[in-house]
Amino acid sequence: MNKIIVLLVLLIHLTDFETTSDQFITRQGQISFFSYTSVENIEARNNQVLSIIDISKSEIAVSMLMNAFVFKKSLMHEHFNESYIESDLYPKATFEGNIIDFDPLALGIQTKIIKGKLTIRGITKDIEIKTTIENNNGSYLLTGDFEVAVQDFDIKIPPILAPNIAKIISITFRFEYQTYEK
Amino acid sequence: MSKKNKIAIFFFFLFLVTGLSFYFGYYKSSYKNIGNISAEVEISSSELVSSFMVNEKHANSIYRGKIIEVVGVIKEITFVNDRNTILLRGDNTYSSVLCDMKLNQTEEIKKLRKGQKIKIKGVCKGFLKDAILLHCMLINTQIDE
Repeated sequence: MNKIIVLLVLLIHLTDFETTSDQFITRQGQISFFSYTSVENIEARNNQVLSIIDISKSEIAVSMLMNAFVFKKSLMHEHFNESYIESDLYPKATFEGNIIDFDPLALGIQTKIIKGKLTIRGITKDIEIKTTIENNNGSYLLTGDFEVAVQDFDIKIPPILAPNIAKIISITFRFEYQTYEK
Repeated sequence: MSKKNKIAIFFFFLFLVTGLSFYFGYYKSSYKNIGNISAEVEISSSELVSSFMVNEKHANSIYRGKIIEVVGVIKEITFVNDRNTILLRGDNTYSSVLCDMKLNQTEEIKKLRKGQKIKIKGVCKGFLKDAILLHCMLINTQIDE
């Protein structure tokens, strides 16, 4: 019995050690989105995006609070949270994916595709994102941009505001990962 | 009153109302005057984190979107992405209170040290791995030179 417990404890410690050494985290990732139309440009930024990458499995997970996007004008912030994203009902947006052909040991810059699932307003879509990965000897910097169609996430924009909001929203991201210490 | 005048008055009020709503809206969102608004809740950083860990939904209903004052010990200060961020210790090593400071606080933040106990006022946005506070400012902090 004792041996089993010892073995279990050892096993837990070993697995724990393994996961911590392969995981990198950022709690201050940056995501910005832009909507360009002839009527007005809308820009918002979230500096508190949480993301974890597991370099041995090439997995990435991202989670963010939708109401933590900061806008220039409060009315935009209000519309975004109350009418479009409904952040009371869907407070978070998430992304889970795999970095294809990721080589965690290669130093310097590599450009890879991340295939994964993006969930906004409880609606999940498959998406491919091109990213630039910079490996600075033990810390990783992921940057890139991609586009999202407003329609894909069933976001209803009243006809009167339709000319103000782009059909396609461009998104940029910047994640600086550090070793995950619990 | 002629029809023309009525229309003019109508537009005048329309512009006035939209102008005012933009003006007040802008101040509401940017929390420029957060210093003048009193906090709705006062809590320690460890209590805040633990209430989110126990029941996130319930904690959201209490704190989300509200101006709160948090007392806690500095775990870390970072300047990632040109933001000044102070992390206050939670009730466990895994989670903390992440305070995104207003940019006019830079000089004061530079004088702070890890392990110092401070009070921060900000708008609670919710919880990911840490409780997140935006538009934060330091309150009555004694600076140890």
